Amino acid sequence: MSVQITTLEELTSPSRAASSSLSIQEYFLNMGPQHPIAHGSLRLLLVLDGEIVREVIPVPGFVHRGIEKMCEHLTCRQIVHLTDRMDYLSALSNNWCLSRTVERAAGIETNERIETVRTIVAELQRVQSHALWWGVLGMDLGALTPFLYAFRDREIISTAFEETIGARLTMNYIQPGGLMFDIHPGFVARVKEVLAHMRPILDEYDALLSGNVILQERLRNVGVLPAEKALAMGCTGPVLRGSGVALDLRKAEPYGVYEKAAFDVVVGTVGDCVRMEEMRQSLGIVEQLIDSIPAGPHMTVKPAAKIKLPAGMHYGQIETPRGILGTLIVSDGKSDKPWRVHFRTPNYNNLWAVTAIAPGCKIADIIAIQASLDLVIPDIDR
Amino acid sequence: MTGEKPKRSVRILGGREVPVIVMPRLPGKGPHVARSAISLLKGMRLTGSYFRPSKVVTRQYPENRKTLKLPERFRARLKLIDDAGGHHKCTGCKLCQKACPNDSIRVLTRKGPVTQKNELDRYIWRQDSCIVCNACVQACPFGALEMTGDFESAVYDRRLLIHTLNRYAGPPASVLDQAAEAEREKMMEPRDAYGGPTPMNGQAMPEVPPLLAAPPGDGEGAPSAGKPDNKEGADS
Amino acid sequence: MTEIAHAGIGKAASSYAVWTVADRAGGLLEQHAWLSAGYIVVAMAAILGMIAVLGVVLIYLERKVSAHFQCRLGPMRVGPHGIFQTVADTLKLFLKEDTVPVGADSLLHLLAPFLSVAAVALILCVLPYSPNLQIADVNIGVLFVGAVSGLGVMGILVGGWSSNSKWSLIGAMRGAAQIVSYEVSATLALLVVVLLSGTLSLSGIVQSQEAGWWIWRAPGVGLLAFVMFIISSSAEINRTPFDIAEGESELAAGFHTEYSGLRFAFFFLAEFINMFIVSALAATLFLGGWMPFHIGGLEGFNGVMDLVPPGAWFFAKTAAMIFLFMWFRWTFPRLRIDQLMRLEWKVLLPVGLVNLVVTAAMVLLGLYFFPVG
Repeated sequence: MSVQITTLEELTSPSRAASSSLSIQEYFLNMGPQHPIAHGSLRLLLVLDGEIVREVIPVPGFVHRGIEKMCEHLTCRQIVHLTDRMDYLSALSNNWCLSRTVERAAGIETNERIETVRTIVAELQRVQSHALWWGVLGMDLGALTPFLYAFRDREIISTAFEETIGARLTMNYIQPGGLMFDIHPGFVARVKEVLAHMRPILDEYDALLSGNVILQERLRNVGVLPAEKALAMGCTGPVLRGSGVALDLRKAEPYGVYEKAAFDVVVGTVGDCVRMEEMRQSLGIVEQLIDSIPAGPHMTVKPAAKIKLPAGMHYGQIETPRGILGTLIVSDGKSDKPWRVHFRTPNYNNLWAVTAIAPGCKIADIIAIQASLDLVIPDIDR
Repeated sequence: MTGEKPKRSVRILGGREVPVIVMPRLPGKGPHVARSAISLLKGMRLTGSYFRPSKVVTRQYPENRKTLKLPERFRARLKLIDDAGGHHKCTGCKLCQKACPNDSIRVLTRKGPVTQKNELDRYIWRQDSCIVCNACVQACPFGALEMTGDFESAVYDRRLLIHTLNRYAGPPASVLDQAAEAEREKMMEPRDAYGGPTPMNGQAMPEVPPLLAAPPGDGEGAPSAGKPDNKEGADS
Repeated sequence: MTEIAHAGIGKAASSYAVWTVADRAGGLLEQHAWLSAGYIVVAMAAILGMIAVLGVVLIYLERKVSAHFQCRLGPMRVGPHGIFQTVADTLKLFLKEDTVPVGADSLLHLLAPFLSVAAVALILCVLPYSPNLQIADVNIGVLFVGAVSGLGVMGILVGGWSSNSKWSLIGAMRGAAQIVSYEVSATLALLVVVLLSGTLSLSGIVQSQEAGWWIWRAPGVGLLAFVMFIISSSAEINRTPFDIAEGESELAAGFHTEYSGLRFAFFFLAEFINMFIVSALAATLFLGGWMPFHIGGLEGFNGVMDLVPPGAWFFAKTAAMIFLFMWFRWTFPRLRIDQLMRLEWKVLLPVGLVNLVVTAAMVLLGLYFFPVG
């Protein structure tokens, strides 16, 4: 069985352009990897006909750092810091995914306190990540002010993290077996400050951007992804929920203490602003959990203990702010370093959704589509 | 967003009931003139309300250095903790070296001249590759390490980023505190901040000699006031 | 805030001092030929000086105003509160390498920024800054302004085409289409004022507002024409929400992608002076220009208002309009090109035409406050 491999050269050859209709002249335009709005180094090759996009060919790989290869030489505890750097806006969720996989494979039990704190920080990170998405959406569409407002609000959450975790972006906090530090004595007070600050701010967000007629007109009926196509491409997270499929791992395969918290899964019909409501739901979850963090140790496994995974394939998944992150660890059972690690990253599948919805849009719409997909490029390339 | 409220309902997915909130669609017909104008004015009112000096949230660094206070857990610079007598607690067990994900720590040990046991010779920390992940601090069974918030480490020469964290080569405080005063002197041998063997990770860099000995004194890995290349007062 | 106030007051004070001297000299010039020649030279110097000073001040103000909208401070280091920041930036631009892309049409590439600046300088000549100070009091002022602002399009088109770059070309095409379209509704708004005041000359229009400014004196139509003028002018000067031609987040930098150094500085400068011109026009036509705030027959009130010098009135109104444009820019996202076109041809044009007809009816029937003659 031969595999048909289409290379970039074939896709962009002049003969291919000429073989299309004689009266239309299509031309190629490179959007990225260096571009003021590219969210990372992503090259999008646009096949254009005037102002209309006929085809989008993404060329990822500019931020490839060989994370999965590096993992083969590191112990399970040492891999955690690499997950920080994949989708850096949801670093804690990435840490959690890996830790959960390792814990389930090695049979490590965690206690209520650990799971509650993990849930709280993951939900705060979701609020932070969606706030950034909101700001970047505004910035991509020309309103530079929301970007600054979003960062001001992220700052408050970052300060809460900084106090407990010691870092603002590369957290390395949720480890196999527990947490790196116990929560700071001032953590609960700070989180309550965050809750008090963020709720009215979300209404301000609506007033400034999401309720703005110009933005609504820019996004109305632009880049609608039908549910079947989304499922076929493996999109997850708000991209899928925006198309109407109510898949949220926090409800479908609950982990942490999500079963204890009452919240709703937010879906859209044609993908409208699912993330704004998700922020409110996350704040609700944190509010329910923050007052009753059970007592207990913050680590159930000694840091120096070697974690050996039994032989075989182990898989675990988590709902990050962008979708389902999955970690596959293949272990040979003998050493404490994995044989192979693979990350099923949500941004990789969400990226290819652009190819399905872009044809027929204008150049300005491509930017709106990319902004609304909320891609983090290092997650695509790992 | 448009005046319609999100609706709560229940969907079935995979045989399970999922409580959902359905976000409303934008009205398909296009913008409504009055509502559009009002939305624009609301946005302007919001930005206008932020147009006053009291709303500024940024801080002016480095003008505010004197009052700048970082959280105690902020991770920027590795240090060997000194006990009351000024002695470190490192035994040279190399667990931190094993825990470090990218080989930024090298613990060099020697056989102590007095104790005849394995003890710390040089604790070399490479700040140019360290990712401040805190794994070393967590791995140390004796609590000898800490991550401090000293973030002003910019230097003009890369070699100044390879620190020797211990000021003396010798046994840890637990041993030193029990020894007599005279013996203590013989057990400890002073070490300077930058004189460690460079580079590490198995690569030889010809014509790169180790840096000359720093002025003795507080060469505990933190740049002291006498160094020409380092920021003053970084330790204050 | 204080730095903005200082800049504004300082500018107004210095310009007022200059203007009153020129005011007194103004009467002599028509009589002596050699004085006329000297006057031309002085006028040229004044225009260049004005462009330079206004450019520096406006760019600094833009940075400070945008910063305060965004909860931050803006330039603070170069000079107290950063007032020398633009000077530093201009020096930097002087010293930059002047790149011309491979395959670019070098003559046109060289020429394009100067076309933009030329258009801007010509319009600066006809604005009435004060009762006796106006470099050229053309009796077809409004028509002249409308025609010359079309020259600005040439600068964009030539710059975009000559750069031999796809991004620049797309930006130039968009820019040209946008400016040419919005000139129509801007002109319709201007025509409302021409109808009301009965003259095309800019100084005549200002004089006609002695009883009151057109924005409130012509009920309904004045305000509507003002709003239309503001929207159309935003599009004319390529400012958000209509900056699709140079949308930083879309097209790298649109038509001036391939410009660097001093010639980029000229494009940049032309854009800011254009903003000043459009604000000055709005102030002149709808807010009375240098005419203080008068209400018809109230002599005492009018006397009090006259105490503030006319030059100060002019600059205060222009400054308020400039602030309004900046407020728009830092609040709204930008429109897509087809939405922009739709707004113009399907919304602003019909509304403008209806407005014009209603104004004509009002003028004929004398249905506005303090009718002229």
